[in-house]
Amino acid sequence: MTTAVAPPLLEDTQLGPKAGGFYRYQNIWTGLGFGIFLGFVAWLVSHATVQGSNWGTDMVVTCTMVAWVVGFNIGMGTFNAPIHWILGHDQTHEDELYAAGVGQGSSRYLKFCTDHKVVGTQYLVLVMVLFGVGGTLAMMIRTQLITPHSSFLDPQTYNAIVTIHGMVMIIATIIMVSGPFANFIMPIMIGAKDMAFPRLNAMSFWVVVSAVPCLLATFFLGGVNAGWTTYAPLSVQAPAAMDAFAMTIITFVVSVTVAGVNTIVTVVTMRAKGMTMGRLPIFTWGTVVGGALGLYAMPAFLAVMTMMITDRATGTSFFVPEVGGSQWLYENIFWIMGHPEVYVILLPPVAAVLEIASTFARKPVFGYKVAIAGFVAIAALSIMVWAHHMFTTGWAPNLAAPFMLTTELISIPTGIIFLCTIGTLWKGSIWTRLPMWFVYLFVWNFIIGGVTGIYLSDVPADQFFHGDMFVTAHFHYTLLGGAMIGATAAVCYWFPKVSGRMLNERVGKVAFWMIAIGIQVTYFGQFWEGFQGMARRIAYYNPHYETANQMSTAGAYLLMAGWLVFLYMMINGWRHGKIAPANPWHAKTLEWKVPTPVPLENFLVDPVVTSDPYTYGEGVPDGQEVPESAPAPEPELVPAGSAPGDQIDAGGAS
Amino acid sequence: MSFTETDHGSEGHGAHGHGAAVPGAENPGGEHETAFKRDQKERLMLWLLIGGDGLFLVLELFTWFYLRALNTSGLWNGAKCSKANPCTDGLGNPINGPIQKADPKHAIIIAACTVIAAGFVWIAESAARRDAGKRAVSTAAGVGFLFLLVALGWQIYQFQVLPFTTIDGAYASTYEFFMGSTLAHLILLGFIMLGLWIRASKGRYAGATWYRVRLIRFFAVWIAVSTVILVAVGALFY
Amino acid sequence: MSFEEEVDEIEANTLLGGAPFFSRPGGKIFIIWLVFTVIGVLIGFYAPHHLLPVMQSPEGGDVWATIVFFTVLAAPVAALVYAIAFYSLFAWRHRSEDPDVPPPDAEPQRGNGPVTVVWLAVSTVLVVVLLFWGIAVWSAQQVSHPNALQVNVTGQQWLWTYSYPGTGVETRTLDLPVNRPVQFNVTSVDVTHGFWPAVLGVQVDANPDVVTVIRTTPNKLGKFIVQCSQLCGLYHAFMNNTGDVVTSQQFDTWLQSNGATPTAAATAAGTSSSGSTTAMGK
Repeated sequence: MTTAVAPPLLEDTQLGPKAGGFYRYQNIWTGLGFGIFLGFVAWLVSHATVQGSNWGTDMVVTCTMVAWVVGFNIGMGTFNAPIHWILGHDQTHEDELYAAGVGQGSSRYLKFCTDHKVVGTQYLVLVMVLFGVGGTLAMMIRTQLITPHSSFLDPQTYNAIVTIHGMVMIIATIIMVSGPFANFIMPIMIGAKDMAFPRLNAMSFWVVVSAVPCLLATFFLGGVNAGWTTYAPLSVQAPAAMDAFAMTIITFVVSVTVAGVNTIVTVVTMRAKGMTMGRLPIFTWGTVVGGALGLYAMPAFLAVMTMMITDRATGTSFFVPEVGGSQWLYENIFWIMGHPEVYVILLPPVAAVLEIASTFARKPVFGYKVAIAGFVAIAALSIMVWAHHMFTTGWAPNLAAPFMLTTELISIPTGIIFLCTIGTLWKGSIWTRLPMWFVYLFVWNFIIGGVTGIYLSDVPADQFFHGDMFVTAHFHYTLLGGAMIGATAAVCYWFPKVSGRMLNERVGKVAFWMIAIGIQVTYFGQFWEGFQGMARRIAYYNPHYETANQMSTAGAYLLMAGWLVFLYMMINGWRHGKIAPANPWHAKTLEWKVPTPVPLENFLVDPVVTSDPYTYGEGVPDGQEVPESAPAPEPELVPAGSAPGDQIDAGGAS
Repeated sequence: MSFTETDHGSEGHGAHGHGAAVPGAENPGGEHETAFKRDQKERLMLWLLIGGDGLFLVLELFTWFYLRALNTSGLWNGAKCSKANPCTDGLGNPINGPIQKADPKHAIIIAACTVIAAGFVWIAESAARRDAGKRAVSTAAGVGFLFLLVALGWQIYQFQVLPFTTIDGAYASTYEFFMGSTLAHLILLGFIMLGLWIRASKGRYAGATWYRVRLIRFFAVWIAVSTVILVAVGALFY
Repeated sequence: MSFEEEVDEIEANTLLGGAPFFSRPGGKIFIIWLVFTVIGVLIGFYAPHHLLPVMQSPEGGDVWATIVFFTVLAAPVAALVYAIAFYSLFAWRHRSEDPDVPPPDAEPQRGNGPVTVVWLAVSTVLVVVLLFWGIAVWSAQQVSHPNALQVNVTGQQWLWTYSYPGTGVETRTLDLPVNRPVQFNVTSVDVTHGFWPAVLGVQVDANPDVVTVIRTTPNKLGKFIVQCSQLCGLYHAFMNNTGDVVTSQQFDTWLQSNGATPTAAATAAGTSSSGSTTAMGK
């Protein structure tokens, strides 16, 4: 055995002056420039050719948005590798190192960068920006509702804000954990050097970036006045903003599909030696099941929004009854996407909560396999419950009972999640650091969200509550109080690894209490409105509901202030925080066993996995470690001289 | 689709995205990405994407049969409309009778060309697997690409010769949606088969790297199958 | 520490140990659970009285009963989670001088088969109970009365129109006779609306080109509000009107004041002996 010599760090590689090819000249500014240029050209051309014909404006907006998305991604460099591939001029090893950000310092954060840690950080910033936008819109809604007949917003603007608040938040919550943490943390957790497809990873980020301006452009195109569900036929008649809205979703579908595939393939094929599926950290399971469910849901979103665009821009008749379509077709396909999507949002944060609870209770996850079975059962059931959103639409009353059954069945695996959470806390050594506070808040909120959900699963009760503020309060308790608080716990937990610095937990505690109290006040106010019978999405209301609305608005302001304190804590921590040790929580998963900041390929020496990462208190050495130096190279498993093709025959018979 | 890997120098060293080992040098991380591993990754990705595309296909068929069964206002294909009792199309003009059925001839030609193109990808794959030389692979890939171009061109041509437009009720809408979906898939496959042809003529798929062609074959066969399904439904369930 | 002492300590820390029940963790959690459960049940019984509007039909009463019943069923489960969470936070919380030093590892516990099985069994039983309740109530509501008063409801941006077949009456307010089954045949002329007379406990969408049907029997006199529950465009918030549940005689008079002939009004109001109405819709 030769003595191990520390290999040179990959990020210190000196690249040639031409490494990277076009990537050298591409960054967010060329992306913006090219996107705006191509969008403008498309606008000119389509305006000259189709404006004035039937549905001309819709065609112009659709063409412009498509051109913007394609142009932005050409300018960013998303298509460089495919074009290289088609032309047979493959990118060289140096090109790939350049694309991974070698030698570019912090400017790589504004470029098409294939390093999964850069992509994760980019996602984190994007998610914060989106929450900022969505939160501001939420504050405008609550401000409008302080008095019954406020003149703060006109109804058109109010409807547009309600819609875009919904969609911005849906996009932000879908990517809030699967973006930052499934990209930054998950590959390190399983002992991989990167995601399975680093370029697809970068693509998934820049594609979703190009979707955001389309969504915000809706405000300048007349506003989408149909709510985030954009029920036909109202949405078919909506202003041209609806085309931009549909294009946003189509673009977003591409991103989520690519990201979901990447996550699954990474976990299935990139695990370190010894990291069996049964030894994966629970968070990894959450991202995989969430990604798989996203892969199921997104084709329906694509289908429904494509048909929406053709209905609007070419006059097809999918959703408009007068010309031979059916609004129930829209509602069915939409909710076939819509309910699984809720669990795409929910599963990764829930898994993160279990991970964090284990670390801060200094105990193994309670019922690891039961929890995984719970995730899978939730995912499987969630694709069979969509019509509970349609109990009061009049579609197929005979199917109410079966859908009531599947909907209520889903509370069994959800109960399993609670069992595993409190089982992990049971007799633990509770270490109340900031992430743990948010775990407790998650438990508190998610119970309320779950219990209020069972009223809505019951058809007779849903006939009262459907379309009512009670529903609004219920899903905010699950998605904000549950999923987003779980994601907040994840932010606090992994911040030292992502940024290399610690958060100021005293500020964090202030933010925590403001957020915790803000959520309760806001949404208890909305439950109250809902019990009294106030409809959702209305800009003006009966004075009877005024007290409840004022309570809700007061809570919302407190909640927003809490998030601002939290944001201050993050920014301050990122700039001036105490330098974080590699493993501040003394956790046992692999991401804490690599240095901070994490080197380019994560592991200088391959990790050794002999057990799952939950060996707290078992008196054995950690089963997931990164050795000090590399062991002697093992003999090749494949006899020398055999062609790779033979290996494939041997191993790939499936 | 998968453009994320390079093909050259893949024997036993494969690119791990960026931190790849150059052939012949020790990989700093110590992990080799074998050709098998890379193929495993890409096959899994492809099956997942095909699964998603399959769901999209199912939803297209669901749309077809749902609207056909509903036949809202007699506007599936206007078979129930008459001069005495006209239906109204998307622009408010009367529809006095059945919308003419699309000529299945065109759709069958498109499906046949797609199937033949996929067949040639398969031939290219087996040529590469037998190590029959770059000429054999690139010829098969090139012929397959030409057939795909015919399918693509005919699909665009079919839009010109349809006896109806998008505004003529649900049958017309859904039929054209099928055509548009086929067109989009053929364009995607076209880019990939163009790449296959160019790369094959540069000798990239000899012997050991035949499995790269197999990936393309999986996708081409899937496109052929889905095209045939759409064409069959469009022709049989007027 | 001798072996016996260790055993004693382990016993003292387990649920079934030797110490008095209420000084053990299990006992304390039981007390907290009981308190939370009682609070939950009380909320379930009293909150609807203060929060829900006065319901004016049996279907509304079903909503009320469902809320109470489900809250009472869910309270013990939620209370258990809360009890354990609170207890863990206060009793098992580790306080140390240096917050950066983690507490010693807890006793590992990777799962507990019997607990999981009991948890699953209890939640399955609860779900089955919920389901039976839901189906029983729902199917009881599906009974259609051949003699029901037909009301055709038409939504449009942004108002509701009610017509009473056979009388020629078409109004913008919804008057209904008390204790008479009524069938709403709901449709729309433009986009999807939601017909929601909240206190009648029923709701259905008004879809263009389709007639959807809901049935109820108002059983309490008094005014109520009909709202649109489906975002339907610019003035969605203003798409509401008042309704009134009145006696048969008042309803008869009201129909006549809106232009119905006395015979037709009497037929529709059910005050005549013949009592047959024109069935409309599907």
